[in-house]
Amino acid sequence: MSTDLQWLLLRKYNSFLVKKVPEGPIFSKEPGNLLNLHSHKYSGLANSKTIDIQSSESGLQITTRKSKASPHAVRPARSTASVRNRSGGRRSLGVVASIAKRGYRPDLRAAALGRSSALLAAQKEKKASPPKKVRGKKAAASIA
Amino acid sequence: MASRPTVTVQSVSGEASTSLPLPAVLTAPIRLDVVAQVHKSMAKNRRQAYAVSEKAGHQTSAESWGTGRAVARIPRVGGGGTHRSGQAAFGNMCRGGRMFAPTKTWRKWHVKINQNQRRFATVSALAASALPSLVLARGHRIEQIAEVPLVVENAAESFKKTKEAITLLQALNAYTDVTKVSNSRKLRAGKGKMRNRRYRQRRGPLVVFKEDNGIVQAFRNLPGVELVNVQRLNLLQLAPGGHIGRFVIWTEGAFSLLDEVFGTFDKASSYKKDYLLPTAKISNPDVTRLINSTEIQSVVRPAGPRVQKRPWTQKKNPLVNKGVLFRMNPYAKTLRRQELLKQERVKAQKDKKGKKAKGSSAGEAFLNTLFAP
Repeated sequence: MSTDLQWLLLRKYNSFLVKKVPEGPIFSKEPGNLLNLHSHKYSGLANSKTIDIQSSESGLQITTRKSKASPHAVRPARSTASVRNRSGGRRSLGVVASIAKRGYRPDLRAAALGRSSALLAAQKEKKASPPKKVRGKKAAASIA
Repeated sequence: MASRPTVTVQSVSGEASTSLPLPAVLTAPIRLDVVAQVHKSMAKNRRQAYAVSEKAGHQTSAESWGTGRAVARIPRVGGGGTHRSGQAAFGNMCRGGRMFAPTKTWRKWHVKINQNQRRFATVSALAASALPSLVLARGHRIEQIAEVPLVVENAAESFKKTKEAITLLQALNAYTDVTKVSNSRKLRAGKGKMRNRRYRQRRGPLVVFKEDNGIVQAFRNLPGVELVNVQRLNLLQLAPGGHIGRFVIWTEGAFSLLDEVFGTFDKASSYKKDYLLPTAKISNPDVTRLINSTEIQSVVRPAGPRVQKRPWTQKKNPLVNKGVLFRMNPYAKTLRRQELLKQERVKAQKDKKGKKAKGSSAGEAFLNTLFAP
């Protein structure tokens, strides 16, 4: 079954659809959708090759669909690579970019890099804000 | 054509054992519109008749007062001694009156569906249940299972205990779909609670068997799980709510019987008289493949050079800006020049004419005639 036909069957209604904002963008929350946008290009369901990037305790999980897998296979069709947390941004982005570099969905390169850097940024611990400076009357009082 | 695709049969412990050829039904065309329409009609066939009482709103002897009493001519309850007397009755706009067009028990509750359409819808829904993406899109938790369609050994048909059923589903990694159902159980909103529809919950897997050697009793208590015989496949179970892609777990016997139950594209079914599977309108629905085919690529014009557009520049109005206008329409320059020349010519001619007109006056002969005594 071609992915074009599958997209037409999924497009109108599926369980991952998010239409919260009227007149707003239509989102989709299936795994494998790099931008979480409801479109054929980014769909994690209606594509024979998909890139899925998730963050987990142990690091970034990059799951791709094997291009030679049978269309009926579900779990055996996926292969997962993980990048450890301590590896940092450069290595993780390199790993993500290498998927596109070897010709696997080169059109998703920018989206994959964007998603992984967003996930990496979210994992970073926030810097504590500097202590507030006392001003005016209170400053004078504190000196005295 | 390449060899027929096969489907592995999972053993009761969840390992792949033998394999079966993919039945032709599972490659039938999927028509969302047919499924939706047939489902809509089929869902109507289980309705019970309801209506308001035949007498409701007509249990008074009200009659109109006619004109002249400064009230509307609606029938009014007669007599005295109660608040009801003098109140309007019968009309759908009246308090205590009958409703508009009272519902009748002889409404047309059931809908006839053409047999071929009914079968088309079932076949479509079955074909959709064999595509992982559509089953996922319906909301079934099948991420961890090996394959769609999921086929289990015949040994599962002689399961007697729910405990066995649970171990089987866990071995197939399909138990998450049952868990999803039990987590989804919620109290229904509204009156349905007191009408034996107290809870609502998702649908789980549909187990299709060939022979019931206890499988129904083993599975039926699992939330959301439904069971059906292969020869009794039903659209309401294959596409609940008209949404295709139900997660179906087949037993080996049921799966291998599919070609007989529904026939193939060239062999009639042995249970449905003269029934052949519907054929697809186009043999290749892959748009990318079509565009890149030699047949199309050999006729299309070759791609021209790429046009680079400079971004973020201000757009010039060619109606105002002459440079842009002449770039868009080189003839405009000639046109403009011609127009200017023409104007000059006209002006020159006018001047010449004006001079002539000023110099001329009425002739002497004319004036003599005019002022003749």
